[in-house]
Amino acid sequence: MLARIAHELYWLGRNLARAEFTARAVEAVFQAELQGTSETTPGVSFGSGGLLAMFGDVSEEPIRPRNGRALGQLTLDAERPGSMLASIERAREGARTVRDVISAEMWEAINTTALGLREGGQLFGAHPPAPAGPSLASQYVKERTALIWGVANRSMLRDEAKCFLDAGGLIEISDMVLRMLRVALPVSDSAPADGHALILLQAVGGFHAYLRAVTAPPNARPVARFLLFERAYPDSVAACVDSLHEVFTTADAGPRNSKPVLRVSRLAADLDFQRRALPDGAELTGICEQTQQELARIDQDVAERYFAGAAAAGLRR
Amino acid sequence: MGTGVQTPAIDGYRPQAPFLDELFEDDGTPRPTARALVEELRRLGPEGLIEAGRRRDAIFMQQGITFETKGADDGEGATKERPFPLDLVPRVLSGQEWRDIKRGLAQRIRALNHFVDDVYHAREIVREGLVPWRLVASCPHFARAVHGIRPPGGVYTHVAGCDLVRHSDGTWKVIEDNVRIPSGISYVLENRAAMARLVPELFASYRVRPVDHYPQLLLSALRSVAPSAESEATVVVWTPGPANPAYFEHAFLARQMGVELVEASDLVVRDDVLYMRTTRGLERAHAVYRRLDDDFVDPLEFRPDSLLGVPGLIRAYRAGSVAIANAFGTGVADDKAIYCFVPDMIRFYLGEEPILENVKTYLLSDPEVLAHVLDRLDQLVVKPTGESGGKGVMIGPHADEVELQRMRRVISTHPDRWIAQDVVRLSTVPTVGVDASLQPRHVDLRPFAVFGERIDIVPGGLTRVALEDGSLIVNSSRGGGSKDTWVLEDGDDADRAGPPIADTQPPALPDLRYGAWTGQQQQQQQQTR
Repeated sequence: MLARIAHELYWLGRNLARAEFTARAVEAVFQAELQGTSETTPGVSFGSGGLLAMFGDVSEEPIRPRNGRALGQLTLDAERPGSMLASIERAREGARTVRDVISAEMWEAINTTALGLREGGQLFGAHPPAPAGPSLASQYVKERTALIWGVANRSMLRDEAKCFLDAGGLIEISDMVLRMLRVALPVSDSAPADGHALILLQAVGGFHAYLRAVTAPPNARPVARFLLFERAYPDSVAACVDSLHEVFTTADAGPRNSKPVLRVSRLAADLDFQRRALPDGAELTGICEQTQQELARIDQDVAERYFAGAAAAGLRR
Repeated sequence: MGTGVQTPAIDGYRPQAPFLDELFEDDGTPRPTARALVEELRRLGPEGLIEAGRRRDAIFMQQGITFETKGADDGEGATKERPFPLDLVPRVLSGQEWRDIKRGLAQRIRALNHFVDDVYHAREIVREGLVPWRLVASCPHFARAVHGIRPPGGVYTHVAGCDLVRHSDGTWKVIEDNVRIPSGISYVLENRAAMARLVPELFASYRVRPVDHYPQLLLSALRSVAPSAESEATVVVWTPGPANPAYFEHAFLARQMGVELVEASDLVVRDDVLYMRTTRGLERAHAVYRRLDDDFVDPLEFRPDSLLGVPGLIRAYRAGSVAIANAFGTGVADDKAIYCFVPDMIRFYLGEEPILENVKTYLLSDPEVLAHVLDRLDQLVVKPTGESGGKGVMIGPHADEVELQRMRRVISTHPDRWIAQDVVRLSTVPTVGVDASLQPRHVDLRPFAVFGERIDIVPGGLTRVALEDGSLIVNSSRGGGSKDTWVLEDGDDADRAGPPIADTQPPALPDLRYGAWTGQQQQQQQQTR
C-alpha cells in the first residue's frame, strides 16, 4: 500500500487510542477527586496534576487539588494540542485523507464522534449529542472509540491497512499506560499497601480484569505489575507489544530482516523475561522508563522503514 | 387518483409559463408519469418534508458529504462546512426519453473523441475547412506536448459529462460539453442512496433504474485501456489533495472502485515508467484516473511552477507505459468556441445526423456577428470561452443597463474570448422551498458517460437545480442544489416479480419455534426430518 496512506493510518490509530485513554484517565481522576483521600500519604499520586504531567504538560501555575480546569483543558479545549477533542479532530482529519481505504461506516463513526464533540454536539443534531462537561464528554468518547474500533474490526479487511491502523493504536496504548505508571508510581522504595492504586486500573479500564486475574489487593506494585506484564489483559504493555509483533510481521514484506520487527520481538522477549525474573514486590519504574524509550525507538524505525524510505527501497514490480 | 377535480397539484403549485414543468401539465395537473409521485408528496406534506430535510442534513454532515462555502453573512470570510443541498423531490424521466438522450450522447461523445484524435494527428477536419485551425490552436487547453500520441484503443475521452437542458418545446439540447474532468457523479450515487433512506415511500410505485454500478463501469473501462500484458492492471485515482473542493468525489470513487487514491508525492517516474511509493518499495501503476487539470500534471511539459505534478509523466505517457484518463489535451474538444462545430463533427466523422441539438451560438470573432450580438445583448447569454462552473456568465434579460454597457465594452475589446447564446428556457421541476412549499425551479442535467471498450451511460445523471426563484444558474458553487434523477424502467409495477427464489428448502433456524409449541408438533417435526 501507499507509504503515505500507511503513515496516515498509523497516526489515525494513535490519535484514536490517545483520545480514548485521555478520556479514561480524565474520568477516573474526576471520580477520584470528588472524594478526598483516606490517608495523608497515598501510595500512588494520580490527580489532575499527575494527569497534566502524564501528557507532558509542565505548566508554570501551581496545580491545586481538585483542579476542575485541568480536566477541562484535557478534554474539550480545542486550543490544546493534547486535549481529547484535539486528538479526535486530528483523527477525523486523518480519516478524511484515507477515506478511500477505511470503510464508509468507519469514516462515519469517526466523523460523527468529532461533530458530536464540537460545540457540545449542537451542530446539525448529530446524534447522540455529546453531553458537555469533562466527565460526560469522556464517557461519550469512550463509547464512541469502542464503536469505532468495533466497526474497524468487523468491517476492515485484515490487510496491511488494518495492520498499520492497529499498530498505531497498540503503540499508543502501551505508551499511555507507561506514561501513567511513570507519573503515578511512588518514587520511594517503600511499598505502601493502601489499595489506592485502584485509580490506575480505572484510568485504563482494567479494574474488573484485575480483580479476576490477580488475588493481591490493588496496591501500587501488583497493579503496576499487572499493567506491565499480564498478557491475558489486552491493554497491558506486554500484550500490546505481542500484538504489535504480530501486525508488523503481517505487514512487512521481509519480516526476518526488518528492524522494527526485530526490535519489537526483542522487547516482547525482554518483558517476558522480566516478568519471570522479578520478584512480586519489585520496583518497576526503571522498567517502565526503559520500555517507553524502546517504544520510541520502534516508532522511529517504523517511520524509516515503512513511511519514508520507499523510494530508496528499490524497484518492485 | 380521483376525478381530477380534487387534484389541484400540490396546494396551489403552478407551473410558470412559458417554462415547461416536468412533473405538471400547464394547467397544474400532474403528468401521467408523475401522478403517483405527486400523491406520495401530498401524503408526506410540509411536515414530512421538513422532517426529512432535517434528517438529510444530519446524515450528510455525518457522512461528510459537504462542501465548503465562504460565510457571506458574518463577513469574516471564514469557510463553513455545509451539507450538500439535495432537494427531496426527484426528477422523473421516462424510459423512452432516456433512450433518445443516451443515443444522442453516445453519438456526440464518439464524435468528440474522433475530433481529439484528429486534432493531434492528421487534422483532416481542419483541412476540409470545417473547423478553423486558428480556433483550435488558440484554445487554452490545446496541448502541443501530446501531438502524435495515440492512447490505447484510441480512447481519449474516457469520462464525459455533457450538460443538457430541456427547452420549453420539450426538446433536449446540449448546452456544454465536458470531456476534461467532469465532476458530480459521486453526488448522483449519494443522492440516490440518501433518497432511498429518507423518503422510501416516493419509490413505492416506481421502478427506477439503478445507478450504483458506475464505479465498476469506470474501473473496467480503465482496466481495458491499461497497458499491462502480464497481470491485472493497477489503477489509481489521482487527486490534487484533501484541500480540493471535489476531494470527496475523488475519495468516493477510489473507495468504490477499491483502488488507491494517490497524490503527486506518491508518484514517481523512473525510466519512462510510472511507479507509486508503497510500504514495500516502488510499485507500478498502469492506469491513472486523474482529477487535476493538464496544466498541473507535469512541470517538465506544462506549467513549470506546478507543485502538484509528477515530473516525467508525459514521457511515460508518450512511451505508452501508462494510460491516463482522460487523455491529456482533451480540453480542446470541450472549449466553448469549438462547441458550435460539434454537429458538423458528427456529420463529418460519423456520417450521421446529430440526435441532440446545440443551443444556437454566436462566435464573436466575425465582425458582422459581433455587431448583431451587441445589438441584442439584452436577449442573449454571454459566456467567456475559457471558464467553467458558471463563472463570468451574463444573462442578458436579467442584467441591468450598466452591466450590459460594461459587457459591450469587454466583448468589443476581446471578441474571441466570448461567445453568445440564445437564452434557453430551462424546464422547471417542483422544488422544496424554505417554508416546505413546492416552487418551480430551473434544472439542467449532466449525464455521465464512460468510454472504454464501448460507451456506457449511467441512467439519469446529476440534475442541478437553481434554488433561487427565476435564477437560471445551477452551478453548486453559485448557490445551486441537486436532485435525484429517476429513469423509469418500461412497463408498470405489476410485472415487478423479482428474481425467482432457488428451489431449495434450507433447514429451519436452530432453536426457533414457529407457532404455538406443543409436544405433538415436536413429534411431527421429528418425523418429517
